[in-house]
Amino acid sequence: MNWLSDNVNLLALIGAAVIIILVVFVVGKYIKQMKHDKGSGELMSDNWDGIGEYKNPLPIGWSLSFIGTIIWAIWYFLVGYPLNSYSQIGEYNKEVAEHNARFENKWANPDKDTLMGMGKGIFLVQCAPCHGVLGDGMDAKSADLTYWGGEDAVVEAILKGVKGSHYPLEEMPAGLLDEASAKAVTAFMMKEINVKKSTKNPDLVETGRPLWATCSACHGEDGKGMGGMSADISQYGTPEFIANVLNLGKKGLIGDMPKFTDDRLTKVQKLAVGTYIQSLRQ
Amino acid sequence: MFHWLERNPFFFAVGVFLVIAYAGVVTILPDFMESARPVIGTKPYTVLELAGRQIYIKDSCNACHSQLIRPFKSETDRYGMYSLSGEYAYDRPFLWGSKRTGPDLMRVGNYRTTDWHDHHMRNPQSVVSGSIMPAYKHMYTNNADIQTAYAEAYTVKKVFNVPYDKPNMPRLGTFEEANKEVMKEASAIIADMKSDDVKEAFKKGEIKEIVALIAYLNSLK
Amino acid sequence: MQASNVLNYDYSVAKCFTYATILFGIVGMLIGVIIAYQMAYPELNYFAGEYGTYSRLRPLHTSGVIFGFLLSGIFATWYYVGQRVLKVSIAESKFLMSVGRVHFWLYLVVILMAVVSLFMGISTSKEYAELEWPLDIGVVLLWVLWGISIFGLIGIRREKTLYVSIWYYIATFLGVAMLYLFNNMEVPTYFVSGMGKWYHSVSMYAGTNDAMVQWWYGHNAVAFVFTVPIVAMIYYFLPKESAQPIFSYKLSILSFWGLMFVYLWAGGHHLLYSTVPDWVQTMGSIFSIILILPSWGSAINMLLTMKGEWGQLKENPLIKFMVLASTFYMLSTLEGPIQAIKSVNALAHFTDWIPGHVHDGTLGWVGFMTMAALYHMTPRMFKKELFSKKLMESQFWLQTTGIVMYFSSMWIAGITQGMMWRASDQYGNLEYSFMDTVSVLIPYYTLRATGGLFYLIGFLLFAYNMYKTITSGKAILSEPQNSSPMQA
Ligand code: HEC
Ligand code: HEC
Ligand code: HEC
Ligand code: HEM
Ligand code: HEM
Ligand SMILES: [Ca+2]
Ligand SMILES: [Ca+2]
Ligand SMILES: [Cu+2]
Repeated sequence: MNWLSDNVNLLALIGAAVIIILVVFVVGKYIKQMKHDKGSGELMSDNWDGIGEYKNPLPIGWSLSFIGTIIWAIWYFLVGYPLNSYSQIGEYNKEVAEHNARFENKWANPDKDTLMGMGKGIFLVQCAPCHGVLGDGMDAKSADLTYWGGEDAVVEAILKGVKGSHYPLEEMPAGLLDEASAKAVTAFMMKEINVKKSTKNPDLVETGRPLWATCSACHGEDGKGMGGMSADISQYGTPEFIANVLNLGKKGLIGDMPKFTDDRLTKVQKLAVGTYIQSLRQ
Repeated sequence: MFHWLERNPFFFAVGVFLVIAYAGVVTILPDFMESARPVIGTKPYTVLELAGRQIYIKDSCNACHSQLIRPFKSETDRYGMYSLSGEYAYDRPFLWGSKRTGPDLMRVGNYRTTDWHDHHMRNPQSVVSGSIMPAYKHMYTNNADIQTAYAEAYTVKKVFNVPYDKPNMPRLGTFEEANKEVMKEASAIIADMKSDDVKEAFKKGEIKEIVALIAYLNSLK
Repeated sequence: MQASNVLNYDYSVAKCFTYATILFGIVGMLIGVIIAYQMAYPELNYFAGEYGTYSRLRPLHTSGVIFGFLLSGIFATWYYVGQRVLKVSIAESKFLMSVGRVHFWLYLVVILMAVVSLFMGISTSKEYAELEWPLDIGVVLLWVLWGISIFGLIGIRREKTLYVSIWYYIATFLGVAMLYLFNNMEVPTYFVSGMGKWYHSVSMYAGTNDAMVQWWYGHNAVAFVFTVPIVAMIYYFLPKESAQPIFSYKLSILSFWGLMFVYLWAGGHHLLYSTVPDWVQTMGSIFSIILILPSWGSAINMLLTMKGEWGQLKENPLIKFMVLASTFYMLSTLEGPIQAIKSVNALAHFTDWIPGHVHDGTLGWVGFMTMAALYHMTPRMFKKELFSKKLMESQFWLQTTGIVMYFSSMWIAGITQGMMWRASDQYGNLEYSFMDTVSVLIPYYTLRATGGLFYLIGFLLFAYNMYKTITSGKAILSEPQNSSPMQA
């Protein structure tokens, strides 16, 4: 980022410089007078506790500047400001519009690298306070995202149950299957149902196939969640799934994750952060 | 004229007073009514939230935290929608702050949750490494002052017509009624907390300061 | 020139307030140093349980230095300067004498209660007006007493024409009275509801209105506590100490009336980009720019008073303090208006640049001037030579270094922070997490705290010097006309 391309930054820096330069210059001038001039003038008749006052005229520079600022102020308030018809909300809308125009291209069809870079920045600003800078959930204070999304995580979900996004079916009960069956059905799900279409345990796929009935009761035959009745696990582990978590929030077994439904993150930004999180599990 | 004033202290003082009083009348009064109108959907604080707000003031969170989102993209990206005047209609006193040693909290209820606050208030460094915010352990031992919170709600209702007990607005009622409401709200928050000491205390009927504070923080949206 | 010590001025009240100034100065600045270190080393928050956290201590620091240190300094100089430029001893009126005494004792009680209540967290949250209503009443009472003292003394004056310093003391009195009353309008909740804490209250104004009233107050509290009475001091002590007539009466007048008129309009600059109407904000910015001139007017008047007096500046540490005070006054009254420009404020507001600006004014201008005033008064009140010039010199350089460290670190910190908040990355998203913008500031916080520590040590040297002067300074027989006598 080029710091000085921002007007506000630039003006602030100029302002800071002006403060120093002007003060040093003006005070320097008076210091010189202390060194070389001599105080003089006609004294007023009054005298207080030994203190007199000269009738010296006003310093010219000072008077002119004073009059100058007053004239400028009157002009500005009566002419400059109303003609400008300034409004700070108008200024804001303009800023946002310009910003969006500038990034339109970048955001229209972002490639994977763009999404990764973008997502990382967003993660550090918006998610790190809960998930930690590394995404590890900070001692189980929130979900460990370096673990989330894999088959072991699905097995754990089956064993411990899942809740918190407030689907109509509410929650997935704990202990639907024993560990071995869970592993098998997960293999099947990842291979046949999930968009990733691949599993670490291809040998278990067929063992898992008959067990899928347990799951399809809620997630549907195709795993898509029966039109929003429960989670669409065909997307599990993908940026789209994460974007959905951001839309729903999750008050789960570990803790409470807020929704991101105010307008701080756009759709693209949600996918970007999802892409980044997906990459955390390597 | 000036010299005359300097010999007549009474008129001098009157002169000074007029000159300094004038500006306040011109700048503050004209928009007084306009600025006091609530935005649709803005509601007064519940008694538990008010108790939390009083704790926020007691511990001067406003020394480090603002509650004013300015209309810049960099702020709305970080904190959400910029502030509107009417959103503050029930804020007595206002808590905009003047220094952001910590982040703005105007809408913190949108992106932080009870259990997070619980970790964070007890030990900020445990969730945000390097944080310079103090830990507020005493909020886990001090009890919230529900009576004073009720007194404040009652006062603003009576004196400033704050719309408690109106349709779609928080209920206030008598102190006993309000207290019941407070216990209900508190129990929902405590259920989401991780702190066993707070849960234990609640079983004994005590509401710790932290519970009220979190109720307040969650209400900031 | 009329010898001024023909009259027997009574300094008993001035002395009491002098002690209070030193005491609260130490306390207030010590707390300042503590909170400054807490920002760099958060572990320091826990030395006194809930009473030692940064957020409990910060209002104690501001109230301590403003209402403890500075206000007693203002009262001390009033009870000294007032008598002298009005040419009347307060002891000539038994009534005024007792008003003065009651004023001091009531003041002491109110301040001590304020300290206790702020430690307990009893606060209304409004900056520089944190006290709850029972203490507000105390403040109003002691203010009324001060008013009686001012106008009483003016009523029996021998000097017909009011000297410039008196103008500024009158303005301080009126300004603070008006501001304090309006900003502290609050409804005690106990009396309406019959329950809860008896001292709790709720503000009369809500939201944006409350903010407008608060910053109309807050800004002008700066005007009428940090500026106007300090100008009153410098108009007396600089010419008196240096034996030079004021450079220009005209400049005195225009600066005074200009300041009075312009200051009150500028409060909007604390609310830029907030929800107060655009025009109020713009008004605040515009008047802030004009305000440079009446502010600089007084400072220039002082600097020109020292025309040709370089020798004194080199020789007399008191003059050094006062000339540097004027310089810092100029610095902060240019810095303020620049920060009041909307676009600059967009960056500066909420950052450390603001405390930087604050302490340019308070340490450089207010602190230096108050200490110089007390140094000047002491030999005359106690009839002793100042204990050590060498110590004063060390104090001067130590504190000047401290101020430079304070403000340079806070300028850099504030501007860095402001730019980082705004920064966006190549994708148009926020570049830094909030915590990133905190971490980078830690070195500057350390530097600032150390600068503050230097200033505090300097203040302790000042206190020691005063103590030694009062207890064991060399006695002087007749009152020094001008430059204060001091031992090497
Ligand atoms: C009783 C209904 C029900 C059954 C049976 C069920 N699920 Fe679920 N499942 C849900 C609901 C509801 C959710 C969404 C929970 C939430 O996030 O609020 C969910 C979420 C999930 C998730 C997402 C976990 C996460 O981290 O967000 C996965 C993966 C999943 N289910 C897999 C399965 C598998 C595999 C089976 C079969 C063994 C199964 N489910 C059986 C109801 C069910
Ligand atoms: C205030 C805290 C908080 C914030 C901010 C937060 N999260 Fe979470 N998040 C949590 C908690 C707590 C959980 C665990 C919920 C549970 O299952 O109990 C979680 C869970 C998750 C999960 C797993 C969901 C699942 O289905 O198992 C994902 C993915 C996630 N967060 C992504 C994000 C992203 C991306 C962001 C930022 C844009 C973010 N979170 C911000 C607290 C937070
Ligand atoms: C010394 C300054 C300081 C004080 C006093 C302070 N905070 Fe903080 N606060 C911070 C800093 C710095 C952060 C950012 C780092 C972090 O999240 O811990 C922060 C973060 C927060 C956050 C998280 C907001 C977010 O967007 O991440 C909340 C909520 C919060 N503080 C509440 C409070 C409350 C309530 C109090 C008073 C009881 C308080 N703070 C007092 C400095 C402070
Ligand atoms: C021409 C004169 C001055 C102007 C126009 C001015 C302007 C400003 C501005 C714009 C701010 C920042 C508001 C914000 O963004 O938060 C500010 C803050 C402040 N200034 Fe000045 N300033 C002036 C002189 C002074 C002097 C001489 C002092 C003290 C000796 C002083 C003390 C303060 C204080 C204490 C604050 C902090 C207020 C707060 O708590 O937020 N100012 N001033
Ligand atoms: C020993 C020297 C001092 C130190 C180390 C010090 C330190 C501090 C610190 C750390 C803050 C808080 C800044 C923040 O919120 O980020 C502060 C605020 C403040 N101090 Fe000091 N201080 C000192 C002396 C003084 C003096 C002598 C005065 C006044 C006469 C003063 C007046 C103030 C004011 C008005 C504020 C509030 C500023 C604001 O809200 O913007 N300080 N000080
Ligand atoms: Ca402030
Ligand atoms: Ca008050
Ligand atoms: Cu101001």
